[in-house]
Amino acid sequence: MWSEKYRPQSIIDMMGNEDARASFVEWFGKWKKGTKPLLLVGPPGIGKTTLANLAAKQFGYDMISLNASDVRNKNRIEEILSPILGNASILGSPMIFVDEVDGIYGRSDYGGAEALIKILKEPTVPIILAANSDLSTKMKSIKKVVKTIHLRPLPPRLVQLFLKKILKKENAKLSPGSLIKIISESRGDLRSMINSAQAIVTGFEPATGKSFESLDVESGVNAFFKANSIDEARSVLYSLRIDPREKINAFYSSVITSSISKSELDKMLQVLSQADMLFGKIMRTQQWRLLRYLDEILIGLYQKDSSVRYSQYNLSWPLLNRLRWDGKSIKELATILAKNMHISRSTFGTLYFPYMLFCIKNKKMNLDLEENFSDIIEKEIEKLA
Amino acid sequence: MSVSDLMWVEKYRPHKIAELVDQKEIVGSIQSLLKNQSEMPHLLFSGSAGVGKTTLALCLSHEILGEHWKDSTLELNASDERGINMVRDRVKTFSRYAGLDSKIPFKIIILDEADEMTADAQTALRRIIEDTAKICRFILIANNISKIIDPIQSRCAVFKFSTIPEKDVVFHLKEISKKEKLKSDENGLAAIYEYSEGDLRHAINLLQATASLGDITEANVKTSAGLTKVKDVDIVLKLALDGKISDARNKMIELIKVYGMSESDFLKYINAAVYKTKNKNLSDIVQTIAKYDFRILSGANPEIQLSALLAELTKFGK
Ligand SMILES: Nc1ncnc2c1ncn2[C@@H]1O[C@H](COP(=O)(O)OP(=O)(O)OP(=O)(O)O)[C@@H](O)[C@H]1O
Ligand SMILES: Nc1ncnc2c1ncn2[C@@H]1O[C@H](COP(=O)(O)OP(=O)(O)OP(=O)(O)O)[C@@H](O)[C@H]1O
Ligand SMILES: [Mg+2]
Ligand SMILES: [Mg+2]
Repeated sequence: MWSEKYRPQSIIDMMGNEDARASFVEWFGKWKKGTKPLLLVGPPGIGKTTLANLAAKQFGYDMISLNASDVRNKNRIEEILSPILGNASILGSPMIFVDEVDGIYGRSDYGGAEALIKILKEPTVPIILAANSDLSTKMKSIKKVVKTIHLRPLPPRLVQLFLKKILKKENAKLSPGSLIKIISESRGDLRSMINSAQAIVTGFEPATGKSFESLDVESGVNAFFKANSIDEARSVLYSLRIDPREKINAFYSSVITSSISKSELDKMLQVLSQADMLFGKIMRTQQWRLLRYLDEILIGLYQKDSSVRYSQYNLSWPLLNRLRWDGKSIKELATILAKNMHISRSTFGTLYFPYMLFCIKNKKMNLDLEENFSDIIEKEIEKLA
Repeated sequence: MSVSDLMWVEKYRPHKIAELVDQKEIVGSIQSLLKNQSEMPHLLFSGSAGVGKTTLALCLSHEILGEHWKDSTLELNASDERGINMVRDRVKTFSRYAGLDSKIPFKIIILDEADEMTADAQTALRRIIEDTAKICRFILIANNISKIIDPIQSRCAVFKFSTIPEKDVVFHLKEISKKEKLKSDENGLAAIYEYSEGDLRHAINLLQATASLGDITEANVKTSAGLTKVKDVDIVLKLALDGKISDARNKMIELIKVYGMSESDFLKYINAAVYKTKNKNLSDIVQTIAKYDFRILSGANPEIQLSALLAELTKFGK
């Protein structure tokens, strides 16, 4: 099972929730008799249990744990935990982990929460609790006697990063369509993401039920512009299941490099401008549900018999290279010099650099810089003329 | 020679408040604030480019902190370090060691080009300013004060810098000419003022460039003027209005991705360029630019927004 195989081996290896992890470690580091117990709250599959286990290991504790699969009524809790609390020395350095505390309920766990709260009030060893939610009345009374740390679902960027890492280790590949599907459907739950990735890689790809199987970018964009009706274009768009940023950029580079009329170009770029704004909003607010409106905006690009075809790059090669190499050198130069002159890199490139080049060209300035900048300076001086 | 002495703007940047050219009222009130340093409020400097905002901030740091200025000043440029987290982290670490030195009244954080921060980032900054107020004073600097949110403005004493009048620019240029042993004539210096429009930084840069050719004469000034990339933005606008969208876009991308011009600087310069074109649709064009200025803030990929801007501008050609 991949989700166990890829359980992180140390706290640093975990993904996301940096701040929460930092305060968790801090709590452990500073723990002394009487320190309030800690409650980790967060949705499934983001590392609560992992975190508790790893901390015990890293800080050298023997962990006594109770989870939802144990009966946790008053008697059981007292029976298991009291000896630890009473006479700690028997067991070396013990700690208590009550996982899934929000699962203590019902007749079988009768009195469990009350017994637990009593223990929580006088912590003689480190106690950690974990729960998915802290909203029930029982949780509210527990929260009064603990310090709470919230963990959040992981953002798609991190989910994707983690997925790619695993795929690399497994030497496995997924189509861009499945990739985006897995990521968006995981809703930031890494465990569920790993599980569906494993399912798909090992040959169980759920049927999409669409007439267009997931398309690669190139054939997708081309099929869109060649479509015979707006409905066909729409279904192409929907089956083009790739990262939304990639989707917008693919249409952008195709549109911008095509030879369509000025007014047509203006119209299409308007559409892409809207799409970009929606995506910007999604990124900022992390409201991924808004993504469903993206295709409705992009459909505005459709026009029957359009001459637009897919293009991967939106710039010519010479310019692309200039961007990559010269742009990089100038940025390095700007980073060094702008600081010295108390200006931004932008001001440097716009207002200072040209004058410097001019003075160097006229042999009135000698830039005492590292060797590797001389090429770019020479090149740019030539461009001055 | 140190890198910062290469450029005369840097070499002749004043180190004392009293040496500042012009800006007399501001200098006056700052000096009276300095009489009671521990009571000094946070400061916000606004105004056009190259008129002494950053210079005054650095002078203040020298005068208040004396020999400790280097360790006790944090200079951040929001245009380079956009993320609020970056700012927050650096401010936090910086303010942590405060109070160690009893010889200084507080530490100084200069946040240059603060108008480059998004409203969200500024909102976060508002807390940071409060949290560190015991130990630190902020000096915020912005070209466009309307881009600074009200709660921040309200936490600062605001100073609006004006462009520098011709006689002061010319006088300052003459001083530099003397020290650099240049030969200059009145027409040459007047020409520099014409081109630089009260931006002292531009004036000094132009002086240096001209000097690299020879004497400061009108003819030499003309040859050296128009070197800045601001001129290229004028060209981008012209290409767009002429309907040459692809050329316009290539040039725009070169400016931003090769020379590092920020998107907001690009918009600032293209906006200024519109007024130079005397196009009959001037107000429509300016509104279009304003629209995309906003869209860049809400979008994810500025390149798409700027390309769309250029495409839309083609409408306003002849
Ligand atoms: N932050 C993380 N970094 C890396 N992998 C993670 C992370 N969180 C979860 N995982 C993966 O998911 C699996 C399950 O994690 P864990 O049991 O810690 O989740 P949990 O937060 O306790 O969930 P639940 O609330 O369902 O108990 C791990 O084995 C690991 O593969
Ligand atoms: N009032 C001034 N007195 C003396 N020198 C000045 C003055 N204003 C500008 N300068 C010269 O111009 C250079 C740039 O000035 P400064 O960095 O203070 O501009 P700024 O107002 O911060 O501009 P920007 O808004 O573009 O950052 C200085 O190094 C200095 O040489
Ligand atoms: Mg768990
Ligand atoms: Mg400045």
